[in-house]
Amino acid sequence: MTPHLLLFYLFATVAVAAAVMVVSARNPVHSVLFLILTFFNAAALFILIGAEFLAMVLVVVYVGAVAVLFMFVVMMLNVNFVRMRQGFLQYLPVGGLIGVILLVELILVAGTWVVADTPEAIEPRPTTAGLTNTEALGNVFYTEYFYLFQAAGVILLVAIIGAIALTLRDRGNIRRQDIGEQVHRDRASAVQLRKVKSRAGI
Amino acid sequence: MTEALPAFDIVPALPEVFLLLAGMALLVVGAMRDKDASRVVTPLAALALLVAALFVIGADKTADPIFSGHFVFDSFAAFLKVVILAGSAVSIVLAQGYLEDQELDRFEFPLLILFSSLGMCMMVSANSFLALYMALELQSLPLYVLAAFNRDQLRSTEAGLKYFVLGALASGMLLYGCSLVYGFTGTILFDDLGAMLLGTENGTLELGIGALVGLVFIAAGLAFKLSAVPFHMWAPDVYEGAPTPVTAFFAAAPKVAAVGLTLRVLMQPFGPVAGEWQQIIVFIAIASMLLGAFAAIRQTNIKRLLAYSGIGHIGFALVGLAAGTERGIYGVLIYMTIYLVMTLGTFTVVLMMRRQGRYIETIDDLAGLSSTRPLMAAAMAIFMFSLAGIPPLAGFFGKLYVFMAAVEAGLTPLAVLGVLASVVGAYYYLRIVKLMYFDEPAEAFDRQGRLELQAICAVSAVLVLGFILIPGPLLATAQAAAAALMP
Amino acid sequence: MDSLWTGTIWPLAVIVFYILLIAVPLMVAMAYLTYAERKIIGAMQLRQGPMTVGPYGLLQPIADGVKLFFKETVIPTGANKIVFVMAPMVTFILALVGWAVIPFGAGIVLADINVGILYLLAISSLGVYGIIMAGWASNSRYAFLGALRSSAQMISYEIAIGLIIISVLITAGSLNLSEIVMAQDGLWYIIPHFPMFMIFMVAILAETNRHPFDLPEDESTLVTGYNVEYSSMTFALFFLGEYMNMILMSAIAVILFLGGWLPPLNIFPLTLIPGPIWFILKVCFVLFCFIWARATLPRYRYDQLMRLGWKILLPFSLLWVVLTSGFLVYFDMLPR
Repeated sequence: MTPHLLLFYLFATVAVAAAVMVVSARNPVHSVLFLILTFFNAAALFILIGAEFLAMVLVVVYVGAVAVLFMFVVMMLNVNFVRMRQGFLQYLPVGGLIGVILLVELILVAGTWVVADTPEAIEPRPTTAGLTNTEALGNVFYTEYFYLFQAAGVILLVAIIGAIALTLRDRGNIRRQDIGEQVHRDRASAVQLRKVKSRAGI
Repeated sequence: MTEALPAFDIVPALPEVFLLLAGMALLVVGAMRDKDASRVVTPLAALALLVAALFVIGADKTADPIFSGHFVFDSFAAFLKVVILAGSAVSIVLAQGYLEDQELDRFEFPLLILFSSLGMCMMVSANSFLALYMALELQSLPLYVLAAFNRDQLRSTEAGLKYFVLGALASGMLLYGCSLVYGFTGTILFDDLGAMLLGTENGTLELGIGALVGLVFIAAGLAFKLSAVPFHMWAPDVYEGAPTPVTAFFAAAPKVAAVGLTLRVLMQPFGPVAGEWQQIIVFIAIASMLLGAFAAIRQTNIKRLLAYSGIGHIGFALVGLAAGTERGIYGVLIYMTIYLVMTLGTFTVVLMMRRQGRYIETIDDLAGLSSTRPLMAAAMAIFMFSLAGIPPLAGFFGKLYVFMAAVEAGLTPLAVLGVLASVVGAYYYLRIVKLMYFDEPAEAFDRQGRLELQAICAVSAVLVLGFILIPGPLLATAQAAAAALMP
Repeated sequence: MDSLWTGTIWPLAVIVFYILLIAVPLMVAMAYLTYAERKIIGAMQLRQGPMTVGPYGLLQPIADGVKLFFKETVIPTGANKIVFVMAPMVTFILALVGWAVIPFGAGIVLADINVGILYLLAISSLGVYGIIMAGWASNSRYAFLGALRSSAQMISYEIAIGLIIISVLITAGSLNLSEIVMAQDGLWYIIPHFPMFMIFMVAILAETNRHPFDLPEDESTLVTGYNVEYSSMTFALFFLGEYMNMILMSAIAVILFLGGWLPPLNIFPLTLIPGPIWFILKVCFVLFCFIWARATLPRYRYDQLMRLGWKILLPFSLLWVVLTSGFLVYFDMLPR
């Protein structure tokens, strides 16, 4: 188990350190890059507990899509985060107070935590009997959680409608390519043969 | 490894399935038609909502939970669904005139309302924490977009953004609460959780501090959706900034749905531990009633005023929930139904406030309305009296039932505070009546050409007036609905 | 300590050896891909291609490599140094790590993981980072524009690729690449999924920024785009990454549609040839198509590119997913 444990601590430490860097990096682009690093380490942790499907999906969705969008936005907007941070200190007392309250709550919650005495509870348990991750997930997705799965789909549909409703503008002065029209052009409409008289032009 | 897919029992969810299919079909229709898409889609969307309501009325209300227990359809859900669907349909019809005037009549508007209503139906039918969260998101997402629907106007986009950011925060709290409850109890199904909590010792229950914190987070998230104090800050700004028909929609159906969801969550899974959440609800109710009453006094914008009025009314409704009895639930259901009618009626009047083609929304503009537009003034007066809770109008009975339930449950101080708050609240409602009837007339409003606005206004006024004559049908169905929620 | 040696270090050493066994021939293959490209295009345009270095110019790629290696690495003053240097590394590494799951023959694979195809999808979706980091860190307008174009293009075509992969997955009933290949025993997926194969070929051209979709490197409008500020080895890494990606994408196409290491027909003389040879031959065929497209097709305009991706390939591949699953369910042919 030693290398396994070693890997766990490696990934976990890097994940936490990178997460800290996400909020403390001065350059927003660096923040996004650290965020990606965090995602990667989280994916690695998933693999360590035998959840390979989740790991891959985490990378595809978060790193491959979400973080790319972040990156786009951050690069295009060129936000000056240093200026945004000014006045940070004046919120410190309130923020600190809330933080302390949350910490106390967390301690109270953790106080009631009962650690399972069977060590197998924390062993990586990839899937039930001989099924791969993907099959196991698919089996519950389309049966037990069918309703929620569909609901999630509807939410995404609404998100698309909303995004289009808020941003799509019909710009009248734009010249669009009409491929049908281009293809339908024939010789008769495109070429004209004329006798040009010498020194007269058309 | 792959067995044949199980046949799902979808009959109890037929209204939702129908709404979803209708929504997608209308989406295609809207995208295909170029210019007049909204004129085609709007009536069809309203019709779809009404047909879905018919499905609800005709359905068997005793079915077991379906979709592995995530979805339940009982009399309680049916009652609220009919109210929600009718309210949404009216909101769509209400909006058309305003949208056409402001050149906002895009076909996405009715569709967003339709999808939001679908989310609301799923909310009141939610029978697990995940279903609750999904439904709530489906309901909220269109609302954020609708608030910003007038995208060229700064106030509208600001309203949308504000609503979105705060709403996302509230959703986060709710989800965090759900995950805590799941983590500490090991189930996301309401039925299982209720049985589990009921199974422990006679009445004196140990929820565990982790799940309790979860419950508090859930309550906070729901309070945001209800715009109850102390999570009400978004409401006035969003109400003011959003286009008026959107505000009308916000004030009506989503509130009913959120109240329904709150009732189900607190009464069913957490019903056995009512002692734990009762104090929270009592506090929220008192704070909302008082803030609604006092903060509304200084308002000059009618939409802001109605926002505070809505906050106050949620406070009154929660008094019934605080009682935690069947009578209380019954009172809340009646209260919300009447509130929906009054609010929609009031907003039709607000939508008729138009001068030289421009929509206006300050309270002073109503001055002397009785001499320029007597019928409109009369309708507004009816709504204001009813909102203030003056007998024999419908609004009075709503308050009566919740306060009675509170007194029966031994919460007399709460009921007394509620009465006091409604007395203070009566001041600003009556101020509007005074403005309309006793002040110098301002310039007359434009003559209203839209028949549907006048019809809705008249029907709501008649309903508010006539409730005392034929209260039977509403009371009977509310009775059955409340009974369905009790274990 | 014994268990540490046999349990950890030795397997690790074996894996490293396997990695080198894959990576080193790949480098050579990549080098000679550039040679093949120049020769093939030369032949198509009735030229000779490189002829001077070595017999038939065979040493040309090595000469190019040596040249790039000895050049000076120039880092622009305004550049963000760390990100600037990281970008080509990211591109190159991503092009290499994908090979970990590619099966060259029955059982000849470095990591035979259950979610192989998802892994490849994940790796290819990361490719955009190298380019966008390069564009941003260069602190140059041309580079940034090139990077923007490229990321928008890659994201757009990735969606089509994902949907195509789903069609194949449903038919094969597994996410494991070896199992996908084995499922094609007897009937390569190029036959039932022929339209998807064509779309996949188009999409991988766009995904690897190759002609006719090489707008990010459009030298006539962007002075070669995102890598305009790069020189010597940093440039070489981009170059290597791009060609390596081509080979990787060809390998994926072979696995998904052309039956991987399987011979075309299960008859006597063909089965004699070992699987890896078939695999390499098929990859070479797909690579030839890459170069063929470059030699013959004019470059797309940017709006045409986006239109093709979003309005034609995406809906069509989505429709195909529905058709495939409908067909399989209706005729009860779902893989068990």
